[in-house]
Amino acid sequence: MNNATNDRPVGPRILIVEDEMLIAWAIEDLLTGLGYQVVGPATRVAQAIEMIDKESIDAAVVDLDLNGEKSYPVADRLVAAGVPFIFSTGYQPGNIPKDYQMFPAMQKPYASASLDHALAKLLNTRPSGY
Amino acid sequence: MKRKFTRKKNSKTDVISVDKELSPFVVATETTRMPMVFTDAKAACSPIIFANQAFLELTGYKVVEVLGQDFTFLLVPGDDSGALTAIRNALEGGMDLETSIWCRRKSGMDFRASIFLTPVRDEDGTVMQHFASFIDLTKLDQTEDNVRFLIQEINHRAQNALTTVLAIVGQTLRGVTDKATIATLEGRILALAKGHGLLGAAAWDEILLLDVLDEVLRPFGMQDRILLAGDEIHLPPKAILTFAMVVHELATNAVKHGALASSVTGRVEVICALESMRDEQQIRFRWQESGGMPVSPPGRKGFGSRQMQGLAQELNGTARLEYDSAGVICEIVMPVAREAT
Repeated sequence: MNNATNDRPVGPRILIVEDEMLIAWAIEDLLTGLGYQVVGPATRVAQAIEMIDKESIDAAVVDLDLNGEKSYPVADRLVAAGVPFIFSTGYQPGNIPKDYQMFPAMQKPYASASLDHALAKLLNTRPSGY
Repeated sequence: MKRKFTRKKNSKTDVISVDKELSPFVVATETTRMPMVFTDAKAACSPIIFANQAFLELTGYKVVEVLGQDFTFLLVPGDDSGALTAIRNALEGGMDLETSIWCRRKSGMDFRASIFLTPVRDEDGTVMQHFASFIDLTKLDQTEDNVRFLIQEINHRAQNALTTVLAIVGQTLRGVTDKATIATLEGRILALAKGHGLLGAAAWDEILLLDVLDEVLRPFGMQDRILLAGDEIHLPPKAILTFAMVVHELATNAVKHGALASSVTGRVEVICALESMRDEQQIRFRWQESGGMPVSPPGRKGFGSRQMQGLAQELNGTARLEYDSAGVICEIVMPVAREAT
């Protein structure tokens, strides 16, 4: 985790979708600490979808609630674009609707190591392979 | 809303006549918030001869629309024929019955009711009337849903608050070079958040100690070096949170300078046992490191050790921390609280 930045000068690009800036920054710090590049943060559904369409993204960390909006359309767009993602939520992951239960979810707050494991798993299982 | 109880003229059957003698029982029956009816057991189909205000409010009918009716008219047509048969059998057999049925209001809106049906007998034991009371289960279900929703919302906010605290810590200490202290601070907050998360999922009821320990130890990523085993012990929230903190601290120390350090291949055994002591039960938690670096007691009492003593004190137990040459041993023994399962 400490040397990751040196090992991966051009790390995978991770989109952060999170409406609370303090938390978005914290995730950003976690990701850069792990050697990833950060895209975003997007704070609204429309903004996130725009970023998915325009930016090159390898994976995403998606908060479930964006200022009262549910982020399922973002998840749908990521699926359509073939970009793997993790839901990040303050709720119990068990509260996620059935249709979205198959996606990995982490309850906030999480440790850097947990995010690292989850993303590594996500990127390795990605069909195109990273 | 007051009304008199004589409706004889409007009904084919004998309506309970109470205007002459308003006994406390009659007044209570009329004014209680529990919906209830009496039916005439001697007439065919046991028609309603009395319905209280709460019943009229529940069903939306006027009293004249109810009197003389077989009270099964309330049932949603075609639904739950089993309940209908059970009610008929109870009425005919003079038996008590408690069941839940789907009822229809005058407005057409359906609700689920728990109904209690019992015969009223005279001195000879002949069933004179039937008495039925209703509880609106749909309303109860809604209240329960609301409470569940509120608990979820509170848990969510607690998790968010802890996440924000962590973010503030991270932002505030951004330029600070002592990364180890920052990691310690963040680790402790995370351990607390893990405990909160699990308790939240269980609506702050008692939860399984092993689940919490597993959750706290998992981020260390050392499943192959940590053996976690024991009995199914449920503990109340306060004890769970303290255990989460204590075990996080033990694991952190083991990673830094104990059996889980990267320079050694030591192991940790974590056992939670429920032991029977004559007529009482006690819980024995044991953390035992082996194959680590040689350990010696720290110069000052650390956060973990203070937490551990505090935990033991809170739970009316004893705690022991040993710096054995083979590795750290931590043992907490406490009685099983009466109300604990």
